[in-house]
Amino acid sequence: MFLGRVVGRLWATRQAAGLAGRKMLLVRPETAARLVVAVDGLSAGPGDRVVVAHGSRVRDLTVGPEVADKDIVIAIVDGHELSQ
Amino acid sequence: MILGRVIGHVWAARRDARLQRAKLLVVRPHAIYEPAFATRHLVATDDCDAGVGDDVIICLGAPARASAGGNDMPVDAAVLGVVDRIEWRPEAMQEPGAAPGIKRALGGLGGLEDAR
Repeated sequence: MFLGRVVGRLWATRQAAGLAGRKMLLVRPETAARLVVAVDGLSAGPGDRVVVAHGSRVRDLTVGPEVADKDIVIAIVDGHELSQ
Repeated sequence: MILGRVIGHVWAARRDARLQRAKLLVVRPHAIYEPAFATRHLVATDDCDAGVGDDVIICLGAPARASAGGNDMPVDAAVLGVVDRIEWRPEAMQEPGAAPGIKRALGGLGGLEDAR
């Protein structure tokens, strides 16, 4: 799992059947310059800090096995504390 | 399993129902594996009472779910133990492939930096 910030939403007219109707979010991990397209299992939106979990089992348990994405938002972060 | 250091906590009121009682820690892996740690940190559940500054053993995938409370937990990383002492030979870790899963030489155990 990783901590990231939702930086945007993503829409696609032509998409795999499993993604139909799914809210897709662009998530930028807190400590890496990359973007992950995650499916929203809660109701996160741009600006939210979220925890994203990865894997088919996580996907099956949250949004369902038909969804064609293995990165799922599982928590919306209220606060975090990092010691550095 | 991998080694990392706990560097923080996460609080989240809105979370998957099965995670309600899980404690979430932010961990910086000591070893860099690909591709799981392209994010250079991990969020892991904790049943071992680990605290900030502790070195911990982290397990990924299905065994992590088993440790976090069962195969129906939507998590992919869990703290399995708090390290009391480590004995290792750092120079051996500079050789890529020195251990299974390590695809490149380990960098310094540098801190979390903002990517931007």
